[in-house]
Amino acid sequence: MSKLLKRALKNSLVPAILMIAGKALGIFIVSAKYGFPLEIGNDINGLFSTQIYFEDAQVTYFVNSVSDLIMLIVIAVPTIYQIIKTAIFQSTFSNPKTIVKIAKFNMIQWVTRDDTTFLKIFVWCAFLWLCTGLIVKNALEGDSFTWIAIVGCILSLLSGFGALKTFEIEVSRVYPDSKKYY
Amino acid sequence: MKNQKLKKFFTLVLEPFAFGILALIFIIPTITVVNLEPITKVLKNLDVLGVSEQARVEINAIEGTHQIFGREKLLEDESGTFTYTTTLTRREADRYSKPILEIKNNRNIDVKLEIYGNTHLPTYSNISMIINDQSYKLQSPNGDVTTQNILLAPNQKYVVYLVVESFSNVQFNEDFELKIKEIE
Repeated sequence: MSKLLKRALKNSLVPAILMIAGKALGIFIVSAKYGFPLEIGNDINGLFSTQIYFEDAQVTYFVNSVSDLIMLIVIAVPTIYQIIKTAIFQSTFSNPKTIVKIAKFNMIQWVTRDDTTFLKIFVWCAFLWLCTGLIVKNALEGDSFTWIAIVGCILSLLSGFGALKTFEIEVSRVYPDSKKYY
Repeated sequence: MKNQKLKKFFTLVLEPFAFGILALIFIIPTITVVNLEPITKVLKNLDVLGVSEQARVEINAIEGTHQIFGREKLLEDESGTFTYTTTLTRREADRYSKPILEIKNNRNIDVKLEIYGNTHLPTYSNISMIINDQSYKLQSPNGDVTTQNILLAPNQKYVVYLVVESFSNVQFNEDFELKIKEIE
């Protein structure tokens, strides 16, 4: 098995688990906090034939929206964190001002730990796009707040752009620009 | 040498499976999240002596997926009027039907329901509903709306089918709204 495939499998497990956990915990936390009665049923309606029922349509709408938001945050925050970290790390190579600023904030150890790769960012970004797709679908069907879908779209576009930039940096490491050296 | 060959063979065999697993890691969370989306349904009221249903008319959406009937919603307002909405997608001239609602009369007496429904614009389609194999007209092709009164026998369950019959191809989506009100 190729190394790339092994690492892709390893890197995609955490966001997959977080995506499900974010949605499920979102539903249960909101229900518990606001005291909404919920029921778990086994009607044959979906692939897993397990549904979560609420009595009121407004409650369903609210719980679904908040759980979508929690799922989005759970995936978006680590993705953006990794992109920012990589961007700062790469910036230190070309810009001495960045090193000075990082030293000033005592963040050198955090930034220089190069454990974030393009593959990791790409996998997290793919999960963020998946989450956004689901939220947009919900918003279009009137099951979730529209602003959550808009926030998701903006975050996905930004992280997509960030992932692309990281890819460019990784590529320039392998194939450096000849003008830089000669 | 033999060991190396064996390792190479296993690598070759395992790789497609690994790709499959990678795809599943993306597919399974997506399906799970879709399935976790909460649904509105009248919950059972439990008391300490056992299960008891409130003596009222209970209406639940059947939902499910359909090529023509999409984005189904069922809401109940404070006055007890149920509003069922769906989007009828563009379609070829034909007759389409789908079970949309389950109505249960939990009372020990007959209950009369007033049901009427229409699209916002005339659609040149016949829209009707079927309850217990009997057809009830809701909207005629020119947009005229007919109000139907349905008598529900005590402790009986009814499945309402929505039927749309178009005589020519419909090239646009239209929103259909059905109102259900208890009158007696």
